[in-house]
Amino acid sequence: MKTKVVLTFSPEASNQPITHNLIAKHHLLVNILRAEIDEVGGKMVLELSGKADDIRGGIDYLKANGVGVRPIKEGVRRDDEACTHCGMCVSICPTKALTMDLKTGKVSFNEDKCVACGVCIDACPPRAMEILI
Amino acid sequence: MTASEFKEYVKANGVKKAAREVDVVTTGTFGAMCSSGAYINFGHADPPIKMQKIWLDGVPAQAGLAAVDGYIGATALDETNNMMHGGAHVIEDLVRGKAVRLRATGHGTDCYPRKEIDTYVSLRTVNQAVLMNVRNAYQNYAVATNSSAKTLYTYMGKLLPEFGNATFSSAGELSPLMNDPYYRTIGIGTRIFLGGTQGYVMWEGTQFNPGAPRTPNGVPKRPAGTLAVIGDLKQMNPEFLKGLTFTRYGSSLGIGIGVPIPILDEDMARCCAVTNNDILAAVFDYSQPTRSRPVLREVSYAELRSGDIDIKGKQVPTSPLSSMYKARQVSEVLKSWILKGEFTIQEPVQSFPKDRPLRTLDVRTEREAT
Repeated sequence: MKTKVVLTFSPEASNQPITHNLIAKHHLLVNILRAEIDEVGGKMVLELSGKADDIRGGIDYLKANGVGVRPIKEGVRRDDEACTHCGMCVSICPTKALTMDLKTGKVSFNEDKCVACGVCIDACPPRAMEILI
Repeated sequence: MTASEFKEYVKANGVKKAAREVDVVTTGTFGAMCSSGAYINFGHADPPIKMQKIWLDGVPAQAGLAAVDGYIGATALDETNNMMHGGAHVIEDLVRGKAVRLRATGHGTDCYPRKEIDTYVSLRTVNQAVLMNVRNAYQNYAVATNSSAKTLYTYMGKLLPEFGNATFSSAGELSPLMNDPYYRTIGIGTRIFLGGTQGYVMWEGTQFNPGAPRTPNGVPKRPAGTLAVIGDLKQMNPEFLKGLTFTRYGSSLGIGIGVPIPILDEDMARCCAVTNNDILAAVFDYSQPTRSRPVLREVSYAELRSGDIDIKGKQVPTSPLSSMYKARQVSEVLKSWILKGEFTIQEPVQSFPKDRPLRTLDVRTEREAT
């Protein structure tokens, strides 16, 4: 089983070896898609692979240690009314979460592929993309 | 028929039959068109004011006409908002029926004693509100890419470093002037679809350059013809008029334009049968900050639309800046108007010039400029 999560943590929680613990103690395969830290804390986007029980255990471990855990679907949102389907975003999206259907000319947003990197946000001319984390 | 339908029809039935059977082809484009704006007559205040400076929602509008006429340009920017809010957004807000804040100052004269006003206006409260764009619907444009090591923010969008992507802005085979490459049916007075209502071509667009290099079928390979257009802002539809923001460049107006092309003869049918395979554009490196950037290669719109192109051996993902989805909508709406008899084809009252040199701005002495 695989799942993508957005982690937010306080400066205190930033000092813990959480990735190591997810791997060593919860037997998860961890793919770090994005990580950043600043004076108010850190954000990380992880893809976790493993048994369902282990994923649940890992997420419980994170929550118990003060790490905010949210599904990736709450990472980036598209305002469908604002989108003009111009396609500016499709060439810059590193994970091809934004693609154009060549038949209809419509741009679709596949949230499962999105890693909330935010590259599309300031590239979108009608400002239809919003990052929530 | 829409331009897309016509191309399919010609493929199946040939040019001769298409010329016999089809009367009108509707084209369409929806893209960022910076040389756009609207003039507005606000009506007179009491006591009256001769406006010398005007702001609409904080965006400076051009005064310097008579007392209460102003022109708001699409790329005029609100100085306090980090290039994120400009004239294009104000125009969209007006079309959406919103009230916008009007501030104006004047010197105060015997006939116009008032020196300032701070109020709200909307399309309901003003006299004329007319979209008047001096350069729209470029007949072909460029492909932009970036060879440098840093991301560039341009009017051609976000260009990733080291040929990370390439952007292009023409609607290609759907675009009005691509289907009438020598301006046989499009000229001054042509009735068009503009921002969701009927408008007109009022002149050749600025930087009109019919002498651009062309392929053997007549389609320009570089930016060539342009249209200056006009229409009633009060009748426009926000579906086809949108304020856009290009990061670190500023605002621009996304606008839908459609031109009906009467199939006068076989030659016209052949022109309207043009496809993305036949239309070429030049790829330019926008990291070169000069007027004459070198051409990296020429590429067809079919390749651009496929999702990536080859630049110096690298597969580079491409992005259109003009919406094919909306361009098709424009051509379909225009077709439906014509079929319902709501829109009639207007023959131009005057054709565009056949040659027009494209001049540049250089630093000259008074004598050199005379």
